[in-house]
Amino acid sequence: MKVTVSKAKITKVSIAAIDDGGNPRSVSIDQYAIPILQQEALRAQSANIQGVSGASYTSAGFAQSLQSALSLLGL
Amino acid sequence: MTTPDSALAYRRIFHHEEHVMGTVVTLDLFDESMPPKWTLTPIVEEAIGVLHAADEMFSTWKDTSCISRIRRGELSLDDAPVEISIVLERCRKARETSRGWFDPWAMPGGFDPTGLVKGWAAQQSLNVLQRADVKGAIVNAAGDIASFGGPQMDQRFRIGIADPAHPQQLACVVETPGAIATSGTYERGAHLIDPHSGLPATRAASATVVGTDLSLADALATALVIAGKQALTMFNDLSDYEGLVIADDGTFHMSPGFPIAKL
Repeated sequence: MKVTVSKAKITKVSIAAIDDGGNPRSVSIDQYAIPILQQEALRAQSANIQGVSGASYTSAGFAQSLQSALSLLGL
Repeated sequence: MTTPDSALAYRRIFHHEEHVMGTVVTLDLFDESMPPKWTLTPIVEEAIGVLHAADEMFSTWKDTSCISRIRRGELSLDDAPVEISIVLERCRKARETSRGWFDPWAMPGGFDPTGLVKGWAAQQSLNVLQRADVKGAIVNAAGDIASFGGPQMDQRFRIGIADPAHPQQLACVVETPGAIATSGTYERGAHLIDPHSGLPATRAASATVVGTDLSLADALATALVIAGKQALTMFNDLSDYEGLVIADDGTFHMSPGFPIAKL
């Protein structure tokens, strides 16, 4: 995942397709969720949050989580 | 939308992602300025070590863990390390508080405290970070979060709750009193066992519990997603803890004091 930050606001989040070893979510994630994650990370930043609580993800799932995207923003 | 006054807001002075317990745990520290590295490093290393020690002791996936040996009858509770009896006591309390909806003794394959241990480990790790003398800290164990302090003076950390229907979006924002745990099956499938039937079952899309201690919050979130909104009554006579259920139809149900904030 690559985050472009300008003046402490994210302007762009780009995430490479990830091989997560057969996680059934991975196919839909590659096709649909990465653009959503980019958009949602930006929206979450405006919600002024410091973390995300949700159902437990696996190690592989972390890379595609909103928490991971937020961590990269330095919140 | 609340925007922090940037003059008062603390900086995130430290961030770490640790692969442990089959997932990633993030540690974040907040303060006005960076403390000297020689004071911070040993404390952070100890906080991370606590997570690995809990994993070694409580993982039901590892044949050599204490809990696996107890489940196979190779190790008696009397001979087990003190952490086992501490977690056992927490499990008893959580079973009672949840009116039996959290019950590690009713799991297939023998005693299984998994629904509480991740929260307990993150809370232990946070307790180590208390010694770092910083204004705020967050330990996020794959969505179960222990914290103290806040992003600025007299303000609580704001935590987004993942939308169970679209996990990369937020359903709402919560001002956490310290501990916040969410349970659901949308990340890893039907792994939550109804203690009354011994079979996988949930009666909500997700459940979130806030409170002072993450081990109890974690166990109660597990109980609440299995039991559904009917179990929100457990918070009536439980001070310091509140619950939120997002039902399968997307509706929100919460105990009266749940600290929901504007998105």
